[in-house]
Amino acid sequence: MRYAAVVAAALVLTGCNGGTVDRHALTNDAATIDSINCESWLLARADARGRLPRFYAREQAEELQIQAANFADALAHRRAATGLEQRVRARARDAGTLSTQLHILHAYPTDHAIAKRLARQFKQAGNCS
Amino acid sequence: MSKLLNLALGILAAIGGFVDIGDLVFNTAAGATFGYQLMWVIPIGVVGIIVYSEMCGRVAAVSGKAVFDAVRERVGFKAGLFALISSELVNLLTLAAEIGGVAIALQLLSGLDYVVLLPLTVVGLAVVVWTTQLDWIERIFGYGGLCLLVFAVAAVKLGPPWVKVGNGFIPHLAQNNPWLYLYFVVGLLGAAMTPYEVYFYSSGGIEDRWTPKDIGLNRANAIVGYGLGGFLSLALMITGAAVFLKHGINPEHLGTIALGTEEPLGKIGLLLALVGILFAVGGASIDTVFSGAYNLAQFFGWEWGRYRHPAGAPRFTLTWLVLFVAAFAIVVTGVDPVMLTEYAVIFSAVALPLTYIPILLVANDPEYMRANRNGRLANVLGLVYLVMIMVIAITAIPLMLITNVGQN
Repeated sequence: MRYAAVVAAALVLTGCNGGTVDRHALTNDAATIDSINCESWLLARADARGRLPRFYAREQAEELQIQAANFADALAHRRAATGLEQRVRARARDAGTLSTQLHILHAYPTDHAIAKRLARQFKQAGNCS
Repeated sequence: MSKLLNLALGILAAIGGFVDIGDLVFNTAAGATFGYQLMWVIPIGVVGIIVYSEMCGRVAAVSGKAVFDAVRERVGFKAGLFALISSELVNLLTLAAEIGGVAIALQLLSGLDYVVLLPLTVVGLAVVVWTTQLDWIERIFGYGGLCLLVFAVAAVKLGPPWVKVGNGFIPHLAQNNPWLYLYFVVGLLGAAMTPYEVYFYSSGGIEDRWTPKDIGLNRANAIVGYGLGGFLSLALMITGAAVFLKHGINPEHLGTIALGTEEPLGKIGLLLALVGILFAVGGASIDTVFSGAYNLAQFFGWEWGRYRHPAGAPRFTLTWLVLFVAAFAIVVTGVDPVMLTEYAVIFSAVALPLTYIPILLVANDPEYMRANRNGRLANVLGLVYLVMIMVIAITAIPLMLITNVGQN
Protein backbone atom coordinates (compact mmCIF):
# COMPACT_ATOMS: atom_id res chain seq x y z
CA MET A 1 0.00 0.00 0.00
CA ARG A 2 2.87 2.32 0.83
CA TYR A 3 4.32 1.47 -2.60
CA ALA A 4 0.99 2.36 -4.22
CA ALA A 5 0.98 5.69 -2.39
CA VAL A 6 4.51 6.48 -3.59
CA VAL A 7 3.64 5.56 -7.18
CA ALA A 8 0.44 7.64 -7.03
CA ALA A 9 2.32 10.62 -5.62
CA ALA A 10 5.04 10.25 -8.27
CA LEU A 11 2.38 10.10 -11.00
CA VAL A 12 0.73 13.23 -9.63
CA LEU A 13 4.08 15.01 -9.48
CA THR A 14 5.16 14.07 -12.96
CA GLY A 15 1.67 14.48 -14.39
CA CYS A 16 1.12 17.92 -12.93
CA ASN A 17 4.54 19.22 -13.91
CA GLY A 18 4.48 17.78 -17.43
CA GLY A 19 7.11 15.62 -19.09
CA THR A 20 9.90 18.14 -19.55
CA VAL A 21 11.38 20.23 -16.75
CA ASP A 22 11.47 23.82 -17.98
CA ARG A 23 12.73 26.87 -16.11
CA HIS A 24 9.37 27.52 -14.40
CA ALA A 25 9.01 23.90 -13.26
CA LEU A 26 12.59 23.85 -12.00
CA THR A 27 12.02 27.02 -9.97
CA ASN A 28 8.88 25.53 -8.43
CA ASP A 29 10.51 22.19 -7.69
CA ALA A 30 13.57 23.88 -6.19
CA ALA A 31 11.28 25.99 -3.97
CA THR A 32 9.46 22.86 -2.82
CA ILE A 33 12.73 21.09 -2.00
CA ASP A 34 13.83 24.16 -0.01
CA SER A 35 10.45 24.10 1.76
CA ILE A 36 10.93 20.42 2.71
CA ASN A 37 14.44 21.25 3.94
CA CYS A 38 13.16 24.08 6.13
CA GLU A 39 10.31 22.00 7.53
CA SER A 40 12.81 19.24 8.24
CA TRP A 41 14.98 21.81 10.00
CA LEU A 42 12.07 22.86 12.27
CA LEU A 43 11.31 19.20 12.94
CA ALA A 44 14.90 18.18 13.69
CA ARG A 45 15.54 21.30 15.78
CA ALA A 46 12.49 20.61 17.96
CA ASP A 47 13.50 16.95 18.18
CA ALA A 48 17.03 17.90 19.26
CA ARG A 49 15.54 19.99 22.07
CA GLY A 50 13.31 17.11 23.18
CA ARG A 51 10.17 19.06 22.28
CA LEU A 52 8.52 16.44 20.05
CA PRO A 53 6.42 13.42 20.95
CA ARG A 54 8.40 10.37 19.81
CA PHE A 55 5.87 9.06 17.32
CA TYR A 56 5.32 12.47 15.78
CA ALA A 57 9.02 12.92 14.98
CA ARG A 58 9.24 9.47 13.43
CA GLU A 59 6.06 9.63 11.35
CA GLN A 60 6.44 13.22 10.16
CA ALA A 61 10.06 12.53 9.15
CA GLU A 62 8.82 9.57 7.10
CA GLU A 63 6.17 11.67 5.34
CA LEU A 64 8.77 14.25 4.38
CA GLN A 65 11.22 11.52 3.37
CA ILE A 66 8.68 10.03 0.95
CA GLN A 67 8.02 13.47 -0.52
CA ALA A 68 11.76 14.15 -0.98
CA ALA A 69 12.34 10.71 -2.50
CA ASN A 70 9.55 11.32 -5.02
CA PHE A 71 11.20 14.56 -6.06
CA ALA A 72 14.61 12.91 -6.32
CA ASP A 73 13.18 10.17 -8.50
CA ALA A 74 11.12 12.48 -10.71
CA LEU A 75 13.93 15.00 -11.26
CA ALA A 76 16.46 12.26 -11.96
CA HIS A 77 14.37 10.72 -14.72
CA ARG A 78 12.40 13.51 -16.37
CA ARG A 79 13.71 15.20 -19.49
CA ALA A 80 15.18 18.66 -18.91
CA ALA A 81 14.81 21.65 -21.23
CA THR A 82 17.91 22.63 -23.20
CA GLY A 83 20.61 24.09 -20.95
CA LEU A 84 18.93 22.99 -17.72
CA GLU A 85 20.07 19.37 -17.61
CA GLN A 86 22.86 19.89 -15.04
CA ARG A 87 20.76 22.06 -12.76
CA VAL A 88 17.87 19.60 -12.83
CA ARG A 89 20.11 16.66 -11.99
CA ALA A 90 21.80 18.72 -9.24
CA ARG A 91 18.40 19.35 -7.66
CA ALA A 92 17.66 15.62 -7.98
CA ARG A 93 20.83 14.91 -6.00
CA ASP A 94 19.85 17.54 -3.38
CA ALA A 95 16.46 15.88 -3.00
CA GLY A 96 18.14 12.47 -2.76
CA THR A 97 20.44 13.70 0.01
CA LEU A 98 17.48 15.23 1.82
CA SER A 99 15.60 11.94 1.56
CA THR A 100 18.56 10.03 3.04
CA GLN A 101 18.89 12.49 5.94
CA LEU A 102 15.18 12.28 6.67
CA HIS A 103 15.40 8.51 6.66
CA ILE A 104 18.02 8.79 9.43
CA LEU A 105 15.75 11.11 11.43
CA HIS A 106 12.89 8.65 10.93
CA ALA A 107 15.06 5.74 12.11
CA TYR A 108 16.50 7.53 15.21
CA PRO A 109 13.79 9.89 16.43
CA THR A 110 14.97 9.81 20.04
CA ASP A 111 18.66 10.50 19.37
CA HIS A 112 19.01 14.23 20.10
CA ALA A 113 22.62 14.42 18.91
CA ILE A 114 21.72 13.06 15.47
CA ALA A 115 18.73 15.41 15.30
CA LYS A 116 20.97 18.39 16.16
CA ARG A 117 23.47 17.51 13.42
CA LEU A 118 20.70 16.97 10.88
CA ALA A 119 19.02 20.25 11.84
CA ARG A 120 22.23 22.11 10.93
CA GLN A 121 22.42 20.33 7.59
CA PHE A 122 18.76 20.96 6.73
CA LYS A 123 19.05 24.63 7.62
CA GLN A 124 22.11 25.10 5.46
CA ALA A 125 20.70 23.15 2.50
CA GLY A 126 17.37 24.98 2.53
CA ASN A 127 18.90 28.37 3.27
CA CYS A 128 16.27 28.67 6.01
CA SER A 129 15.79 31.77 8.12
CA MET B 1 -31.23 28.13 33.39
CA SER B 2 -31.40 24.85 31.53
CA LYS B 3 -31.94 26.78 28.26
CA LEU B 4 -28.90 28.95 29.00
CA LEU B 5 -26.83 25.89 29.77
CA ASN B 6 -27.99 24.23 26.56
CA LEU B 7 -27.10 27.34 24.61
CA ALA B 8 -23.64 27.49 26.19
CA LEU B 9 -23.04 23.81 25.53
CA GLY B 10 -24.27 24.15 21.96
CA ILE B 11 -21.99 27.12 21.36
CA LEU B 12 -18.97 25.36 22.84
CA ALA B 13 -19.66 22.38 20.60
CA ALA B 14 -20.07 24.66 17.59
CA ILE B 15 -16.72 26.38 18.23
CA GLY B 16 -14.93 23.06 18.46
CA GLY B 17 -16.95 21.63 15.58
CA PHE B 18 -16.60 24.54 13.14
CA VAL B 19 -13.12 23.73 11.95
CA ASP B 20 -12.76 20.77 9.60
CA ILE B 21 -9.94 19.50 7.42
CA GLY B 22 -10.76 22.07 4.70
CA ASP B 23 -10.40 24.96 7.16
CA LEU B 24 -7.19 23.51 8.59
CA VAL B 25 -5.61 23.09 5.15
CA PHE B 26 -6.76 26.30 3.46
CA ASN B 27 -6.33 28.72 6.36
CA THR B 28 -2.83 27.53 7.20
CA ALA B 29 -1.74 27.38 3.55
CA ALA B 30 -3.18 30.86 2.92
CA GLY B 31 -1.15 32.27 5.82
CA ALA B 32 1.97 30.43 4.68
CA THR B 33 1.62 31.77 1.13
CA PHE B 34 0.22 35.30 1.50
CA GLY B 35 0.88 36.12 5.14
CA TYR B 36 -1.90 38.22 6.65
CA GLN B 37 -3.23 39.49 3.31
CA LEU B 38 -6.22 37.12 3.22
CA MET B 39 -7.57 37.77 6.73
CA TRP B 40 -10.50 39.71 5.23
CA VAL B 41 -11.91 36.60 3.55
CA ILE B 42 -12.59 34.81 6.86
CA PRO B 43 -15.23 37.21 8.28
CA ILE B 44 -16.93 37.29 4.88
CA GLY B 45 -17.14 33.48 4.84
CA VAL B 46 -18.28 33.32 8.45
CA VAL B 47 -21.08 35.87 7.92
CA GLY B 48 -22.16 33.85 4.86
CA ILE B 49 -22.45 30.59 6.78
CA ILE B 50 -24.24 32.40 9.63
CA VAL B 51 -26.78 33.96 7.25
CA TYR B 52 -27.66 30.69 5.53
CA SER B 53 -27.46 28.46 8.61
CA GLU B 54 -29.79 30.80 10.48
CA MET B 55 -32.13 30.72 7.49
CA CYS B 56 -32.26 26.94 7.17
CA GLY B 57 -32.44 26.52 10.96
CA ARG B 58 -35.47 28.84 10.94
CA VAL B 59 -37.04 26.88 8.07
CA ALA B 60 -36.51 23.68 10.07
CA ALA B 61 -38.00 25.21 13.23
CA VAL B 62 -41.08 26.68 11.50
CA SER B 63 -41.91 24.16 8.78
CA GLY B 64 -40.34 21.02 10.23
CA LYS B 65 -38.55 20.52 6.91
CA ALA B 66 -34.82 20.12 6.41
CA VAL B 67 -32.91 21.39 3.36
CA PHE B 68 -33.49 18.50 0.98
CA ASP B 69 -37.17 18.17 1.90
CA ALA B 70 -37.47 21.75 0.76
CA VAL B 71 -35.25 21.27 -2.31
CA ARG B 72 -37.42 18.44 -3.62
CA GLU B 73 -40.64 20.35 -2.98
CA ARG B 74 -39.47 23.75 -4.16
CA VAL B 75 -37.27 23.12 -7.22
CA GLY B 76 -38.85 19.89 -8.50
CA PHE B 77 -37.58 16.37 -8.97
CA LYS B 78 -35.12 16.82 -11.88
CA ALA B 79 -33.34 19.93 -10.61
CA GLY B 80 -33.49 18.51 -7.10
CA LEU B 81 -31.91 15.26 -8.26
CA PHE B 82 -29.08 17.22 -9.88
CA ALA B 83 -28.52 19.09 -6.60
CA LEU B 84 -28.67 15.81 -4.70
CA ILE B 85 -26.11 14.02 -6.90
CA SER B 86 -23.65 16.91 -6.82
CA SER B 87 -23.99 17.35 -3.06
CA GLU B 88 -23.55 13.60 -2.47
CA LEU B 89 -20.39 13.51 -4.59
CA VAL B 90 -18.90 16.49 -2.76
CA ASN B 91 -19.93 14.95 0.58
CA LEU B 92 -18.23 11.69 -0.35
CA LEU B 93 -14.98 13.42 -1.34
CA THR B 94 -15.07 15.45 1.88
CA LEU B 95 -15.78 12.36 3.96
CA ALA B 96 -12.88 10.47 2.38
CA ALA B 97 -10.56 13.40 3.12
CA GLU B 98 -11.79 13.65 6.73
CA ILE B 99 -11.33 9.90 7.32
CA GLY B 100 -7.80 10.15 5.94
CA GLY B 101 -7.23 13.14 8.24
CA VAL B 102 -8.37 11.21 11.32
CA ALA B 103 -6.06 8.31 10.39
CA ILE B 104 -3.11 10.70 9.95
CA ALA B 105 -3.76 12.34 13.34
CA LEU B 106 -3.95 8.91 14.97
CA GLN B 107 -0.75 7.86 13.18
CA LEU B 108 1.12 10.92 14.48
CA LEU B 109 -0.14 10.27 18.02
CA SER B 110 0.29 6.49 18.13
CA GLY B 111 2.99 5.60 15.61
CA LEU B 112 0.76 2.89 14.13
CA ASP B 113 0.72 2.36 10.38
CA TYR B 114 -1.62 4.61 8.38
CA VAL B 115 -2.94 1.67 6.37
CA VAL B 116 -3.83 -0.20 9.56
CA LEU B 117 -5.43 2.90 11.04
CA LEU B 118 -7.70 3.60 8.06
CA PRO B 119 -10.07 0.63 8.59
CA LEU B 120 -9.87 1.10 12.37
CA THR B 121 -10.91 4.73 11.91
CA VAL B 122 -13.91 3.83 9.77
CA VAL B 123 -15.03 1.05 12.11
CA GLY B 124 -14.49 3.28 15.17
CA LEU B 125 -16.51 6.14 13.68
CA ALA B 126 -19.29 3.75 12.61
CA VAL B 127 -19.47 2.29 16.13
CA VAL B 128 -19.69 5.79 17.62
CA VAL B 129 -22.46 6.74 15.20
CA TRP B 130 -24.34 3.48 15.87
CA THR B 131 -24.13 3.55 19.65
CA THR B 132 -24.00 7.21 20.71
CA GLN B 133 -26.79 9.77 20.88
CA LEU B 134 -26.44 12.72 18.52
CA ASP B 135 -26.15 15.39 21.24
CA TRP B 136 -23.39 13.39 22.91
CA ILE B 137 -21.57 12.97 19.59
CA GLU B 138 -21.72 16.75 19.12
CA ARG B 139 -20.46 17.37 22.64
CA ILE B 140 -17.65 14.82 22.67
CA PHE B 141 -16.19 15.92 19.34
CA GLY B 142 -17.01 19.59 19.86
CA TYR B 143 -15.30 19.74 23.27
CA GLY B 144 -12.35 17.69 22.01
CA GLY B 145 -12.08 20.09 19.07
CA LEU B 146 -11.74 22.93 21.57
CA CYS B 147 -8.11 21.79 21.94
CA LEU B 148 -7.65 23.70 18.67
CA LEU B 149 -7.80 26.86 20.79
CA VAL B 150 -4.11 26.11 21.23
CA PHE B 151 -3.69 27.76 17.81
CA ALA B 152 -5.18 30.97 19.22
CA VAL B 153 -2.72 30.89 22.13
CA ALA B 154 0.11 30.14 19.70
CA ALA B 155 -0.96 32.99 17.41
CA VAL B 156 -0.77 35.49 20.29
CA LYS B 157 2.46 34.06 21.67
CA LEU B 158 4.14 34.24 18.26
CA GLY B 159 3.74 38.03 18.49
CA PRO B 160 2.68 38.76 14.90
CA PRO B 161 2.89 42.34 13.60
CA TRP B 162 -0.61 43.37 14.67
CA VAL B 163 -0.76 46.37 12.33
CA LYS B 164 -0.17 44.05 9.38
CA VAL B 165 -2.74 41.64 10.79
CA GLY B 166 -5.23 44.53 11.03
CA ASN B 167 -4.47 45.69 7.49
CA GLY B 168 -5.21 42.15 6.32
CA PHE B 169 -8.89 42.75 7.12
CA ILE B 170 -9.11 45.38 4.37
CA PRO B 171 -10.16 43.60 1.14
CA HIS B 172 -7.59 44.00 -1.62
CA LEU B 173 -5.97 42.08 -4.48
CA ALA B 174 -2.38 40.89 -4.12
CA GLN B 175 0.10 42.41 -6.55
CA ASN B 176 2.19 39.26 -6.81
CA ASN B 177 0.54 36.13 -8.14
CA PRO B 178 -3.09 37.35 -8.31
CA TRP B 179 -4.42 34.02 -9.69
CA LEU B 180 -3.08 32.06 -6.74
CA TYR B 181 -4.45 34.74 -4.42
CA LEU B 182 -7.91 34.40 -6.00
CA TYR B 183 -7.67 30.61 -5.76
CA PHE B 184 -7.15 30.99 -2.02
CA VAL B 185 -10.07 33.45 -1.76
CA VAL B 186 -12.34 30.86 -3.40
CA GLY B 187 -10.89 28.04 -1.28
CA LEU B 188 -11.29 29.94 1.99
CA LEU B 189 -14.89 30.87 1.20
CA GLY B 190 -15.63 27.32 0.04
CA ALA B 191 -14.14 25.91 3.24
CA ALA B 192 -16.09 28.32 5.46
CA MET B 193 -19.42 27.85 3.65
CA THR B 194 -19.10 24.15 2.84
CA PRO B 195 -22.59 22.78 2.07
CA TYR B 196 -22.55 19.80 4.45
CA GLU B 197 -22.54 22.22 7.39
CA VAL B 198 -25.95 23.63 6.50
CA TYR B 199 -27.42 20.20 5.70
CA PHE B 200 -26.27 18.96 9.08
CA TYR B 201 -27.34 22.12 10.88
CA SER B 202 -30.84 22.07 9.45
CA SER B 203 -31.38 18.33 9.96
CA GLY B 204 -29.91 18.63 13.46
CA GLY B 205 -32.57 21.25 14.23
CA ILE B 206 -35.25 18.75 13.34
CA GLU B 207 -33.51 15.98 15.31
CA ASP B 208 -33.54 18.36 18.30
CA ARG B 209 -37.28 18.97 17.65
CA TRP B 210 -36.96 22.71 17.22
CA THR B 211 -40.22 24.67 17.10
CA PRO B 212 -40.84 28.36 16.29
CA LYS B 213 -40.05 29.01 19.98
CA ASP B 214 -36.45 27.99 19.26
CA ILE B 215 -35.82 30.62 16.57
CA GLY B 216 -33.89 32.73 19.09
CA LEU B 217 -31.79 29.74 20.11
CA ASN B 218 -31.12 28.99 16.43
CA ARG B 219 -29.99 32.56 15.81
CA ALA B 220 -27.72 32.62 18.87
CA ASN B 221 -26.20 29.25 18.01
CA ALA B 222 -25.47 30.30 14.43
CA ILE B 223 -24.06 33.74 15.23
CA VAL B 224 -21.98 32.94 18.31
CA GLY B 225 -20.96 29.39 17.39
CA TYR B 226 -19.85 30.10 13.82
CA GLY B 227 -18.52 33.52 14.79
CA LEU B 228 -16.22 32.11 17.43
CA GLY B 229 -15.37 29.19 15.15
CA GLY B 230 -14.17 31.74 12.60
CA PHE B 231 -11.85 33.04 15.31
CA LEU B 232 -10.04 29.68 15.13
CA SER B 233 -9.67 30.11 11.36
CA LEU B 234 -8.00 33.49 11.96
CA ALA B 235 -5.65 31.87 14.48
CA LEU B 236 -4.70 29.18 11.96
CA MET B 237 -3.91 31.80 9.33
CA ILE B 238 -1.80 33.86 11.74
CA THR B 239 0.12 30.75 12.78
CA GLY B 240 0.65 29.85 9.12
CA ALA B 241 2.05 33.31 8.40
CA ALA B 242 4.14 33.70 11.56
CA VAL B 243 5.76 30.25 11.39
CA PHE B 244 5.60 28.84 7.89
CA LEU B 245 5.86 31.97 5.73
CA LYS B 246 8.67 33.22 7.94
CA HIS B 247 10.65 30.00 7.42
CA GLY B 248 9.73 29.52 3.74
CA ILE B 249 7.64 26.40 4.34
CA ASN B 250 4.66 25.34 2.23
CA PRO B 251 2.62 23.12 4.63
CA GLU B 252 1.58 20.13 2.52
CA HIS B 253 0.92 17.63 5.33
CA LEU B 254 -1.65 17.64 8.12
CA GLY B 255 1.15 17.02 10.62
CA THR B 256 2.90 20.19 9.49
CA ILE B 257 -0.10 22.29 10.53
CA ALA B 258 0.29 21.01 14.10
CA LEU B 259 4.03 21.76 14.01
CA GLY B 260 3.12 25.46 13.90
CA THR B 261 2.28 25.32 17.62
CA GLU B 262 5.59 23.73 18.66
CA GLU B 263 7.69 26.85 18.17
CA PRO B 264 5.70 29.01 20.63
CA LEU B 265 4.34 26.31 22.99
CA GLY B 266 6.61 23.27 22.82
CA LYS B 267 5.58 19.62 23.16
CA ILE B 268 2.32 20.29 25.01
CA GLY B 269 1.21 22.72 22.28
CA LEU B 270 1.92 20.17 19.59
CA LEU B 271 0.07 17.42 21.45
CA LEU B 272 -2.97 19.64 22.03
CA ALA B 273 -2.97 20.60 18.35
CA LEU B 274 -2.89 16.94 17.28
CA VAL B 275 -5.70 16.02 19.69
CA GLY B 276 -7.71 19.04 18.52
CA ILE B 277 -7.22 18.04 14.89
CA LEU B 278 -8.24 14.46 15.71
CA PHE B 279 -11.51 15.51 17.36
CA ALA B 280 -12.35 18.32 14.94
CA VAL B 281 -11.79 16.18 11.86
CA GLY B 282 -13.43 13.15 13.51
CA GLY B 283 -16.50 15.24 14.34
CA ALA B 284 -16.57 16.63 10.82
CA SER B 285 -16.46 13.06 9.44
CA ILE B 286 -19.60 12.23 11.39
CA ASP B 287 -21.33 15.48 10.35
CA THR B 288 -20.44 14.73 6.73
CA VAL B 289 -21.64 11.13 6.74
CA PHE B 290 -24.89 12.17 8.41
CA SER B 291 -25.35 14.97 5.88
CA GLY B 292 -25.05 12.48 3.03
CA ALA B 293 -27.58 10.15 4.64
CA TYR B 294 -29.95 13.00 5.60
CA ASN B 295 -29.96 14.37 2.05
CA LEU B 296 -30.74 11.07 0.38
CA ALA B 297 -33.41 10.10 2.94
CA GLN B 298 -35.09 13.51 2.84
CA PHE B 299 -35.09 13.65 -0.94
CA PHE B 300 -36.68 10.22 -1.36
CA GLY B 301 -38.97 10.57 1.65
CA TRP B 302 -37.47 7.75 3.71
CA GLU B 303 -37.57 7.51 7.49
CA TRP B 304 -34.51 9.29 8.83
CA GLY B 305 -32.93 10.52 12.03
CA ARG B 306 -30.58 9.49 14.78
CA TYR B 307 -33.31 9.84 17.39
CA ARG B 308 -34.65 6.59 15.96
CA HIS B 309 -32.92 3.30 16.63
CA PRO B 310 -30.85 2.34 13.54
CA ALA B 311 -33.39 -0.39 12.78
CA GLY B 312 -36.19 2.19 12.90
CA ALA B 313 -34.77 3.99 9.86
CA PRO B 314 -33.10 1.14 7.94
CA ARG B 315 -32.47 2.90 4.61
CA PHE B 316 -31.03 5.93 6.40
CA THR B 317 -28.77 3.63 8.43
CA LEU B 318 -27.74 1.68 5.34
CA THR B 319 -26.90 4.94 3.54
CA TRP B 320 -24.43 6.17 6.15
CA LEU B 321 -22.86 2.72 6.35
CA VAL B 322 -22.45 2.63 2.55
CA LEU B 323 -21.01 6.17 2.58
CA PHE B 324 -18.41 5.11 5.14
CA VAL B 325 -17.44 2.12 3.00
CA ALA B 326 -17.30 4.20 -0.21
CA ALA B 327 -15.14 6.88 1.47
CA PHE B 328 -12.85 4.16 2.81
CA ALA B 329 -12.54 2.71 -0.72
CA ILE B 330 -11.42 6.13 -2.00
CA VAL B 331 -8.89 6.91 0.70
CA VAL B 332 -7.41 3.40 0.86
CA THR B 333 -6.13 3.81 -2.72
CA GLY B 334 -3.35 5.91 -1.19
CA VAL B 335 -4.64 9.28 -2.38
CA ASP B 336 -3.26 12.11 -0.24
CA PRO B 337 -6.05 13.38 2.10
CA VAL B 338 -4.72 16.95 1.93
CA MET B 339 -4.86 16.93 -1.88
CA LEU B 340 -8.31 15.34 -1.68
CA THR B 341 -9.37 18.12 0.68
CA GLU B 342 -8.37 20.76 -1.84
CA TYR B 343 -10.43 19.09 -4.56
CA ALA B 344 -13.37 18.61 -2.16
CA VAL B 345 -13.36 22.27 -1.13
CA ILE B 346 -13.12 23.54 -4.71
CA PHE B 347 -15.89 21.21 -5.94
CA SER B 348 -18.03 22.16 -2.97
CA ALA B 349 -17.58 25.80 -4.02
CA VAL B 350 -19.00 24.80 -7.42
CA ALA B 351 -21.99 23.13 -5.72
CA LEU B 352 -22.73 26.05 -3.37
CA PRO B 353 -25.54 27.66 -5.42
CA LEU B 354 -27.40 24.35 -5.63
CA THR B 355 -27.58 24.35 -1.83
CA TYR B 356 -28.16 28.00 -1.11
CA ILE B 357 -30.67 29.03 -3.81
CA PRO B 358 -33.41 26.65 -2.57
CA ILE B 359 -32.82 27.75 1.04
CA LEU B 360 -33.31 31.40 0.08
CA LEU B 361 -36.45 30.55 -1.90
CA VAL B 362 -37.99 28.52 0.90
CA ALA B 363 -37.10 31.06 3.60
CA ASN B 364 -39.15 33.59 1.60
CA ASP B 365 -42.08 31.28 0.93
CA PRO B 366 -45.14 32.43 2.93
CA GLU B 367 -46.72 28.96 2.73
CA TYR B 368 -43.74 27.43 4.55
CA MET B 369 -42.68 30.27 6.78
CA ARG B 370 -45.83 32.28 7.57
CA ALA B 371 -44.83 35.17 9.90
CA ASN B 372 -41.23 33.95 10.11
CA ARG B 373 -40.29 34.70 6.51
CA ASN B 374 -36.98 36.40 5.81
CA GLY B 375 -36.80 40.02 6.91
CA ARG B 376 -35.18 42.74 4.81
CA LEU B 377 -31.69 42.24 6.30
CA ALA B 378 -31.75 38.47 5.76
CA ASN B 379 -32.86 38.97 2.15
CA VAL B 380 -30.29 41.65 1.36
CA LEU B 381 -27.49 39.56 2.87
CA GLY B 382 -28.88 36.40 1.27
CA LEU B 383 -28.90 38.00 -2.19
CA VAL B 384 -25.45 39.55 -1.83
CA TYR B 385 -24.04 36.18 -0.81
CA LEU B 386 -25.94 34.43 -3.58
CA VAL B 387 -24.26 36.65 -6.19
CA MET B 388 -20.90 36.01 -4.54
CA ILE B 389 -21.54 32.27 -4.45
CA MET B 390 -22.40 32.28 -8.18
CA VAL B 391 -19.13 34.06 -8.98
CA ILE B 392 -17.22 31.59 -6.80
CA ALA B 393 -18.96 28.62 -8.45
CA ILE B 394 -18.09 29.86 -11.95
CA THR B 395 -14.46 30.72 -11.19
CA ALA B 396 -13.51 27.84 -8.87
CA ILE B 397 -12.49 25.22 -11.44
CA PRO B 398 -10.73 27.62 -13.86
CA LEU B 399 -8.70 28.96 -10.92
CA MET B 400 -7.89 25.43 -9.81
CA LEU B 401 -6.58 24.63 -13.30
CA ILE B 402 -4.67 27.90 -13.75
CA THR B 403 -2.89 27.50 -10.40
CA ASN B 404 -2.36 23.73 -10.70
CA VAL B 405 -4.49 23.13 -7.57
CA GLY B 406 -2.75 25.89 -5.68
CA GLN B 407 0.73 24.60 -6.51
CA ASN B 408 1.29 27.61 -8.76
